[in-house]
Amino acid sequence: MFKKILIANRGEIAVRVVRACREMEIAAVAVYSDADRAALHVQLADEAVAIGPAPAVESYLDMERIIRAAHGTGAEAIHPGYGFLAENADFARLCEKERVVFIGPRSNALELVGDKVRARQTMEKAGVPIIPGMKSIPDTMAEFEAAARALGYPVIVKASAGGGGKGMRIVAEEKELIPALEAGRREAKSAFGDESVYLEKYLDEPRHIEFQVLADNSGHTVHLFERECSIQRRHQKIVEETPSPALDDALRSKMGETAVRVMKAAGYNNAGTVEFLLDKDRNFYFLEVNARLQVEHPVTELVTGVDLVRQQILAAAGEPLTLKQSALLQRGHAIECRIYAEDPLNRFLPSPGKILFLREPRGPGVRCDSGIYGGWNVPIDYDPILAKLIVWAETRELARRRMAAALDDYIVLGIRTTIGFLKDVVQHPEFKAGRLSTAFIPKHFEGWQGMAKDEEILRLARTAAAFAEFDRAERGTAAPGRGSRKSEASPWTTSGRWRIGGA
Amino acid sequence: MDFEYLIEGQVRRIALVKKGAIYVVRDGDVVFEADIRRISEHEVMMIVGGRSYPVSFARDGDRTFVFLEGREFVLRPPGEDAGGFHRGEEKALGEGLVIKAPMPGKVIKIPVAEGDEVRKNQTLIIVEAMKMENEIKSAIEGVVKKVFVKVGELVDSEKMLIELELKKE
Repeated sequence: MFKKILIANRGEIAVRVVRACREMEIAAVAVYSDADRAALHVQLADEAVAIGPAPAVESYLDMERIIRAAHGTGAEAIHPGYGFLAENADFARLCEKERVVFIGPRSNALELVGDKVRARQTMEKAGVPIIPGMKSIPDTMAEFEAAARALGYPVIVKASAGGGGKGMRIVAEEKELIPALEAGRREAKSAFGDESVYLEKYLDEPRHIEFQVLADNSGHTVHLFERECSIQRRHQKIVEETPSPALDDALRSKMGETAVRVMKAAGYNNAGTVEFLLDKDRNFYFLEVNARLQVEHPVTELVTGVDLVRQQILAAAGEPLTLKQSALLQRGHAIECRIYAEDPLNRFLPSPGKILFLREPRGPGVRCDSGIYGGWNVPIDYDPILAKLIVWAETRELARRRMAAALDDYIVLGIRTTIGFLKDVVQHPEFKAGRLSTAFIPKHFEGWQGMAKDEEILRLARTAAAFAEFDRAERGTAAPGRGSRKSEASPWTTSGRWRIGGA
Repeated sequence: MDFEYLIEGQVRRIALVKKGAIYVVRDGDVVFEADIRRISEHEVMMIVGGRSYPVSFARDGDRTFVFLEGREFVLRPPGEDAGGFHRGEEKALGEGLVIKAPMPGKVIKIPVAEGDEVRKNQTLIIVEAMKMENEIKSAIEGVVKKVFVKVGELVDSEKMLIELELKKE
């Protein structure tokens, strides 16, 4: 087993990996940019190496500096977390060349699943269902009509130069097809200078369902069931759960077997996730492979009892996978909410800055994977994810209530967060009923204005603010020091502080 | 002692009088007694009408953040403009003549210069934070009177960025 691992990441995921290392009695090396000198992951790690200025391209994305930090500290392996270099095949290859173990899939598997077109072709060949669509651009409208009929309406017109929804048109029936193609071509032409469009089957309000997979280096592969991640804002997942309210045992095992087949076709090792879309008729289609530890991995950990980070480290060290598919079970229900430094009342604009007061919720079945602390200055340079709140309970409804209560106890003062918004999401009747889809947020939360104002509560808020000022004024100018002066008299602080290493 | 706050868009006056261990609170026309104890630098415990409320608070400049009953409030002294942008729009429109930063961030582009004429909806400045770009567009047809910031500069929320003036007829 490794003696030392370098974590090429920051924030809550770096903290998560440090914790796994500590429990496995492996030394953890943190890396940090200038903006993260005081970050939680740096505090908790055994060693810390500065890797450059705040911009990620000059620090967390700088492969050479990270490799140098690994060599300099004698780390035998690198855990990339998610984001940054996690799915970068060049980095995986560099690690292989530099004889540092990359905790993730081997570079050729990473390359295959990273190329969306190649991955789709490989999966289609392996008999995995993909979203049906045209494979070439036809010349005549008659060919489009025939293709649309074969796919079955509704279909979607997509620009082959693609991106940003430009040129996209949803077509519900045949008489709308030709006008939609013409409009799509015009839009594609002006957006990309290329008027080619093609048709794909349109999935109306699909669910996003993904399967967690683990594979060792010799190809023994198991899945750890699904996660439903349909609750998304601008294609970003915000609430995830498992089991999915949409699956029954038959569909679950069929999708799970497919996920394992996908990973075997890709020659995949280590932890990975196979993403599917599930339509209203319960047909599922392969979307892509996420070749890393996912943000939402904790919900799987809570219902299966498997520590995924530990499994990643074991697999990377060449240990055979000891988990048997038939022995894996889902027990109870888990939900995760992602806590972002964004202002839901102001177009979800980022809200970096200093956290003046923090209290994270706790209680039975409550887990908080966090990268922050009271007094931490959330930098402007990175992703707005602050923490993840994850709950477990025997049933979905109990887990949902536990989540609502835990969100109520989650206090972050000084910066804006998405906590209040998430509270309304999990309390929504459609969420309660498990009627989820990727259209959930735009459909139910367009123009969200925050929770109802209660005059009584506003009055108490004013009272508390007034008390704080009153109290400060009453304690006079010397007041801020009064409490601390008393503690300075403690014998523990008069003998001077301990110093280590004589620095 | 009297206090005045802007909270949820309303200005309210509140008075506190200490009576032994109890505070008599007059909030608008409502008078009530509150038993308030400080627990820590950022926490108090209130008992009002037999109900107990743990409250957390923090101050940042002249803003006070208060958290109670699972909700957070921001209180400010009255007379302050709480924000210079519209809510719920994809792209912010600078409101009026002085464009302020909608969030803390870094100025990454200023496609206009002092003296330039601008159209309505023309991009004036782009501020970036946390990998999200926020493009601020002109709400009016006018002339750029002053640019207060440079590309690469870090700005705080509500920092003045650009001043416009109406085009003279």
